[in-house]
Amino acid sequence: MQPVTITINQRVVSGHAGMTILEIARESKIDIPTLCDDSSLEPVGACRLCLVENEQSGALLASCVTAVSPGMIINTNSPRVLEHRKTIVKLLLASHPDACLVCDKGNRCRLRQIASTMNIGFNELEKIPQFAAIQELNPFITRDMAKCVLCGKCVRACREIVVEGAIDYYQRGFSAHPATLNDTPLERSPCTFCGACLALCPTGALMEKEVPFQGTTGSSVRTACAYCGCGCPITLEIKGRRVVRALPTKGDFFSNGALCIRGGFGYDYIHSKERLVAPLIKEGDHFKKVSWEVALKAASAGLNRVKSQFGPDAMAVFGSSKCTNEENYLLQRFARTVLKTNNIDNGSSPYNLAIRSGLGDTTGYLSTTNLLEALEEAELILVIGTDLTVTAPRAAYAVKRAVRNKQAKLILIEPRQTKLASFAHWWLRPEPGSEALLLNGMASVIIEEKLFNAEYVSRLTEGFSALADALKSFSLEAAAKDTHLPADEILSAARAYAGASKSAIVLGPGITCAASGIESIKALSNLALLTDNIWCSSCGIYSIQKDNNGMGACEIGSLPDFLPGYQPVADLTARNKFERLWQSELPANPGLSMAEALSRGKEIPLKALYVVGENPVLSLPQPRQTREALSSLDFLVVQDLFLTETAAFADVVFPAASFAEKEGSFTNFEGRINWLKQAIPPYGESLPDWEIVLRLAKEMGDQLPYSTLEQVITEIEEFVPLYEGYDHQEERPSEKWSHWEERRNLAFQSLAGFPRFSIPDCFSPPHKKPEEYPFCLVLEETLPFFGNGTRSGKARRLKTIYPPLLLKIGTDDAAKLALATGNAVRISSPFSQLNATVDICATLPPGMIALPASFPDAMDLFSPDMGKEKNLPPASFCYAQLERVSLDE
Amino acid sequence: MNKAQKEPEINPEVLLDIVTAYRRQKWSLIPLVQEIQAEFGYIPPQSIPLIADALKLFPSEVQGVISFYEQLYTEPRGKNIVRVCRGTACHVRGGKTVLKLVKQHLGLEENQTSDDLEYTLETVACLGICALSPTMIINKQVYGHMNPQKIKQLFKKE
Repeated sequence: MQPVTITINQRVVSGHAGMTILEIARESKIDIPTLCDDSSLEPVGACRLCLVENEQSGALLASCVTAVSPGMIINTNSPRVLEHRKTIVKLLLASHPDACLVCDKGNRCRLRQIASTMNIGFNELEKIPQFAAIQELNPFITRDMAKCVLCGKCVRACREIVVEGAIDYYQRGFSAHPATLNDTPLERSPCTFCGACLALCPTGALMEKEVPFQGTTGSSVRTACAYCGCGCPITLEIKGRRVVRALPTKGDFFSNGALCIRGGFGYDYIHSKERLVAPLIKEGDHFKKVSWEVALKAASAGLNRVKSQFGPDAMAVFGSSKCTNEENYLLQRFARTVLKTNNIDNGSSPYNLAIRSGLGDTTGYLSTTNLLEALEEAELILVIGTDLTVTAPRAAYAVKRAVRNKQAKLILIEPRQTKLASFAHWWLRPEPGSEALLLNGMASVIIEEKLFNAEYVSRLTEGFSALADALKSFSLEAAAKDTHLPADEILSAARAYAGASKSAIVLGPGITCAASGIESIKALSNLALLTDNIWCSSCGIYSIQKDNNGMGACEIGSLPDFLPGYQPVADLTARNKFERLWQSELPANPGLSMAEALSRGKEIPLKALYVVGENPVLSLPQPRQTREALSSLDFLVVQDLFLTETAAFADVVFPAASFAEKEGSFTNFEGRINWLKQAIPPYGESLPDWEIVLRLAKEMGDQLPYSTLEQVITEIEEFVPLYEGYDHQEERPSEKWSHWEERRNLAFQSLAGFPRFSIPDCFSPPHKKPEEYPFCLVLEETLPFFGNGTRSGKARRLKTIYPPLLLKIGTDDAAKLALATGNAVRISSPFSQLNATVDICATLPPGMIALPASFPDAMDLFSPDMGKEKNLPPASFCYAQLERVSLDE
Repeated sequence: MNKAQKEPEINPEVLLDIVTAYRRQKWSLIPLVQEIQAEFGYIPPQSIPLIADALKLFPSEVQGVISFYEQLYTEPRGKNIVRVCRGTACHVRGGKTVLKLVKQHLGLEENQTSDDLEYTLETVACLGICALSPTMIINKQVYGHMNPQKIKQLFKKE
């Protein structure tokens, strides 16, 4: 870029062409006050506070929107500038309430900061207050339009960052203000309460609705959000021992000024009164609070007893996709060297398996192949099998930004009308379960019409001719028939995908948790390989993780068949390496997965279980079986923040510290490392999970050789492939992703024989819809209810906006069954039945019904059968039938 | 606005036809809303989501543009638009009284529409024919040198 040199306040400063005066000034540490400017937003020049004087022409320029030109001589503090700036501030104050004393924005208020810096208090201008009612019905954001300075940050944040467009300016002149459609309250608008506007509002116009008078907080800590797989950097503001606010980290490019409702408002479960304050031991039907010594002794005695009586393989450890990498590392080591079993698993392993085998078999790389900022530069994005705005809000922002702000095209493959549907250029609603056929149909179009990148395919991939042969027998018409889609829809989607030069794929739990998940992922890989869209910039396959450390927990070895870094347990060299490191013989046979172990009910092949941070009673299908399995155990130790449904069966319960109370790292779905930093001391007597594991091992007479977390981190760095140097940065800023680059390079080194096409072996739907169960039932995730609600269910504010517990059914199906909203129905699947109330809803296609994931016992309806070669029961949907029942039944 | 006012019938098919013709033409918001206003006399609120969907804009964005321009109306207007001049020349020659009398005759305040959708009363900053002041304009017909008699006759006649 063209270098440009200008003079500001007699100082010669340089930048490059295209920069604004404000940008150059900021880089050179010259302060110019602003209200409407923010690095995450396009400048608009609304507040005029950033006026500077061009000394050559005498013109006053708004520095935020004026590009530099060579040789400019700028004065930011000339008497003229100061006079104008003061007048602007005085005018703003003239229509601003004198409410600073009771305004909770306190010293965070930009207007107040600027006014006091410029020595402006009460002034000579007549007050013209703008009266407005304070809007505070929703539990998240309070709006006081009397304090609005019309900087437009909220409007721009809503449109540019999160691309929700819930608010815009309304009316003009004196009556202009940011408003929703028809000026309705936020809770009756598309607003998702992501809090982007809140974090940017310079005055008290937008405020967190919270306990009043929190005001300016003493300290803040930069850490990572512990909800979904995006793992956004987050800043917690702390007062005393309480976290009072969660904000997007300033200047962080990943969250770029926006979190989501969970990150911004869902943290307060850490202050829930239901948190465990002390270790518990079961006595009869009740739990008794005990000291750590007593609880550890009891747990170690129980585990040792089962070990000597039934052998190591009668025991299992469930690590957690919500715990840190270090904790999972210790847990798997605990299972393998202390208990001497490979029965170690975590909650994300089922859906990670689909990604691991699907992507691994084709690309040779086991996870998301690119970073989110590259996704935003893609020309075309294919989103499949997810309500992305709910599963991974940050990834959805990227997709929406690409489409709305950068003119990318969007192919959406999803039967339900999700929020992304209004962004989609092609929206395909295939029959659930037939996604692989649709994708193979697209591949066959691309091959037949010669739309693939022949040069790349022949030079760098393997297996193309076999794929072409296999797809020859698979006509577009067949794909159309089995997916229940018009052939031309598949045709145009295929042409669009192949036609764009940079296409990216985003896939979610609708694929990874489906019975045909692996086939679908392989088919997606085929599409990407045909068009050379895997490794180049702004392309790639993004697989969304449900939990914040879903990736990390698996990579770090919380798996029954893999040692840390995806080194197979069955591999002698890998085992030897860790045997030498840990000075202990390792069990060679792969262990049991969580679902495998618990799905057998009373026939559970285990006698003792140590569950850390998972709640299998709610997360697995057929809770009844899981409950039976847990109650038939000899000994159960549960370690969690709350007395969960699973902990209710425990003999010993350890209280664990929350994400804000400990340190460690998470790996997000892209493979980035996010570091937790301790914000507050652990609640009650709770301890970080890693510390509990170390104490338990010591109590069991097999002390693990670590006394600090640093020692664990150093060992992981040294011995776990993919994690070499993950702790490079002293300050641990997540902007630097050198680790991510290394990780990808490492993957390239072991790519002999890759990438290669996967040959589909079956061209019929994986399962036929049984006639007596004509509906596909899906469990719909919602923003406030995360996972199975173990944490979000304890978040005070999220709880208030749970979706109503109703059965959603499409308009056509409701008409066919003569159902009206409010009717009672019985939902039956081959496994169970339950009653619900009907809500007719236009977002569902015919043949699909939906329950919110928060619906009690909905998992009863789902099949416990393990899919082929999978250790997980397909959970993306189940078949069901409906019948109307009278209300009193 | 008057709550009792009857909503004019909006034919949803006509509305949809107008909107559909502009699909995915982001730049065409203004011509589109002008066409809708030409058809229905105003921009019915139910058209905003349709416009937003067709043009791939946000409903709040569409509303923001519509509410910005004086010439775009979001409420039904009368068959006859009465505009009384409030310019300086008219003011010194009794424009204020003219407006008061027109208000009395129509039973309307400024920017209101009668319940039967016959009249909408508006004011205008200057009609540019100060020689005829005080003036008013009904639809496209200009009336000059207004006085109480003329006003009485005018609204009796119509």
